[in-house]
Amino acid sequence: MQAENIIEMLHITKEFPGIVANDDITLQLRRGEIHALLGENGAGKSTLMSVLFGLYQPEKGEIRKNGQVVKINDPNDATALGIGMVHQHFKLIDVFTVLDNIILGAETTKLGFLQKKEARKKVQALSERYGLKVDLDAKVEDITVGMQQRVEILKMLYRDNEILIFDEPTAVLTPQEIDELMDIMREFAKEGKSILFISHKLNEIMAVSDRVTVLRKGKYIGTVDTKDTDKQALSNMMVGRPVQLEVVKDPAKPGDVVLQVEDLTVPSHLHKRNAVNHVSFEARAGEILCIAGIDGNGQSELIYGLTGLEKASHGKVTLCGKDISHASIRRRGENMSHIPEDRHKHGLVLDFTLEQNLVLQKYREPRFQHNGFIDRGAVRQYAQQLIEQYDVRSGQGPVTIARSMSGGNQQKAIIAREVDRDLPLIVAVQPTRGLDVGAIEYIHSQLVAERDKGKAVLLVSLELDEVMSLSDRILVMYEGEIVGELDPKATTVQELGLYMAGAKRMGKEAERA
Amino acid sequence: MKQRGPNLLEREGTRSVLASMISIIIGMLVGSILILIMGLSNSSLGLSSAWDGIRLVFGGLFSTGRSASGALTWGFNSTSIGNMLFRATPLIMTGLSVAVAFKTGLFNIGAPGQYLMGTAASLIIALGIPSETVPAGLIWLLAFLGGALAGAIWGAIPGMLKAFLNINEVLACIMTNWIAANLVTWVFDGSNYRNLVENTKSAYIYKTAYNNVATPKLGLDAIFPNSQVNGGIIIAVVLAVLVYILMTKTTLGYELKACGSNRHAARYAGINDKRNIVLSMAIAGALSGIAASLYYLSGNTEFFWATYQSLPATGFNGIPVALLAVNHPIGVIFTGCFMSMLDIVGLQLTNLTAYNEYITDVIISVIVYLSAFSLVIKMMLTKRGKKGKTPTRTAGDAPAQTAEKGGESA
Repeated sequence: MQAENIIEMLHITKEFPGIVANDDITLQLRRGEIHALLGENGAGKSTLMSVLFGLYQPEKGEIRKNGQVVKINDPNDATALGIGMVHQHFKLIDVFTVLDNIILGAETTKLGFLQKKEARKKVQALSERYGLKVDLDAKVEDITVGMQQRVEILKMLYRDNEILIFDEPTAVLTPQEIDELMDIMREFAKEGKSILFISHKLNEIMAVSDRVTVLRKGKYIGTVDTKDTDKQALSNMMVGRPVQLEVVKDPAKPGDVVLQVEDLTVPSHLHKRNAVNHVSFEARAGEILCIAGIDGNGQSELIYGLTGLEKASHGKVTLCGKDISHASIRRRGENMSHIPEDRHKHGLVLDFTLEQNLVLQKYREPRFQHNGFIDRGAVRQYAQQLIEQYDVRSGQGPVTIARSMSGGNQQKAIIAREVDRDLPLIVAVQPTRGLDVGAIEYIHSQLVAERDKGKAVLLVSLELDEVMSLSDRILVMYEGEIVGELDPKATTVQELGLYMAGAKRMGKEAERA
Repeated sequence: MKQRGPNLLEREGTRSVLASMISIIIGMLVGSILILIMGLSNSSLGLSSAWDGIRLVFGGLFSTGRSASGALTWGFNSTSIGNMLFRATPLIMTGLSVAVAFKTGLFNIGAPGQYLMGTAASLIIALGIPSETVPAGLIWLLAFLGGALAGAIWGAIPGMLKAFLNINEVLACIMTNWIAANLVTWVFDGSNYRNLVENTKSAYIYKTAYNNVATPKLGLDAIFPNSQVNGGIIIAVVLAVLVYILMTKTTLGYELKACGSNRHAARYAGINDKRNIVLSMAIAGALSGIAASLYYLSGNTEFFWATYQSLPATGFNGIPVALLAVNHPIGVIFTGCFMSMLDIVGLQLTNLTAYNEYITDVIISVIVYLSAFSLVIKMMLTKRGKKGKTPTRTAGDAPAQTAEKGGESA
């Protein structure tokens, strides 16, 4: 490998009101390497890449390409320097075709007329060469997320970019698509292109990168060769303290039945069959019961039916001895806290401040209101207490608008709010989705702590690792039914996978047992 | 975590006020340019009348007429200011109506219909209950409450359609507007409320003063003699403050805003989203109904009852009043006064120059147009604020910028 650095970002400092997003960060990208940029949510990875791509101007520091100082004022400058970026949220025009999206901004024209034929040839050649299968004439809104990403990659290749930035590219992909992407990235590197790979997923970084630069809270922590390090060391660098990658917990001591579900049926909005089809189970105090399954097998609807967000068409739900089958959401909430699947849709009012969001479930309590007037002082005090206790970070503390917070901290705020309700049942739906190691560790430990306090925890997760390590008992859902009950200590990931895929199912008798 | 209070220019509220001021100033400048063009292109007007016109656009409220020599005179004009306050009253109320709905995520374009229903209810009560047997003050109160109730019911209808059948409130409001227009005509057509005494007037109903019902002046007529002003403006201001308190300080306001901002999250938190949508539209409707009550119960205002072909502008003008105020209830007091001031300016132009009041309609239209852009202007102001922070493209500036930053965060 050449020692020459193709891109150097030296002593970059970028501030935003109330926060230093990048504090004297140095990043050196060698020619032909895959360089991972690792850090927790809010560590400054995306800001640093936006600086490189010309979206932000740094207060201090300089960028060099091939040793020459360059000034990148906007993305056009970046493109001219051969820098391309696949954003976390794709920048595609939904109603344009794939081809139109690829050439947009770099169109070949003759006398003002588009020369699509040449463009098509070039794109086709690129797509074949790298195995980036796309349908050039399909509209972007009609293709899968994986294909949209390939369109973004082709956009960079079409512009002959030699420095490719991938901002959390795997977050939206299926495991197979992730493998394909890794292969493509290796292929690029072999050809001498240089790749910056932003991620907080350690497995992927270990699998594909040559070197790793770690950021933490806006500061540069260090750069290491991937072959000289391991997951544990990287996560320690990222979080700044030894991290438990495995969940540590004592054996569960299940107590009384807290939640009993009998024959619950929830109709589907998507098809005529029931999304949840005659499901029965019970959750006990002091255990973490996990509903596992591939996305879209009725887990979300099951939770909607339990929490009252949707009406069940049949069945009975008993919570703490009370029949809540037809109760309002508020009445169900008297004994159940709910960490919702979609934190932006259900979990937060994004345009409210953090403190307003933290009392979303509690504003009617006498300590926060007197005769219908909200006691702002009490709200502020409570919010500050939760923020401190649960380490929710934000630019302006309690008055930060929720929308401006990082995803991890938004989730922490929800967890803080729900766990602090101190209710016998905690329903947690994909509580760690999209979060980094530090946050995941934290949320897992919170859920285990609540379990040990005698709460019943009902967890819905799509992550096999999480299912296996966190739960005390696993129920597998497939096509709206519970097809198996497993003991995580006695089962394997492979067996769990078979149930999830519908290849195996337990008899009704076994399920009852 | 660094925390610092934003300085005055960075504050959200400052930017909102600034954006609205810019809209207003641009509107008035456009009006002035029109006046100038008209003046120069019309030999009977000329440059000096154009100059008079422009001065009236900006200062018409304080115009006291012309001196013997023909020059414009200025000073405290109690009639103009009093009338401005009187005309501002219903605008403040419809502005509040639109603003409340906006704050809760709904677009209340139904203010004209709610205003009409409020008018009908107020007038029927005010004229229908004989003041020989019932005290006039009590009749006034009943008529006021009746107007509010009628408006609330009329607002609640689109609210219910939205909440239970998910029908867009804008469509439903437009429908209910025209239903109200025809309904009101139908109710008054052939009724005993038609003014048949003054036979020069057709399609007007009696002033409420006919039944001795009129809003008390509360001493305002002493401050602004020779004007129509009455206690209504005080009621409007008090209501604006109450709405502000409701929206910012109470659990109900919290719920309404939560529903408006994210209906799903509100439902998740156990808030009855359907009830809140209906409630929010009912409150908005009541405010529009009160607008009508306060206007028509003054005693001197006449209602043209054959409304089936047109909707009251006061209802629609609530939209720019709310927009200019960025939906802030207290801001609505000022923008409402501003809009009615333009009315007065129109009158002054007609009285004192060869221009007519329609020039102010142009100004209002431009401002309405720009007020829709006040968000854009606000964004531009925000951007400017940020740009000042980022270093310019020359490297030498950077350290100076950082030094300034350091000072601010300290």
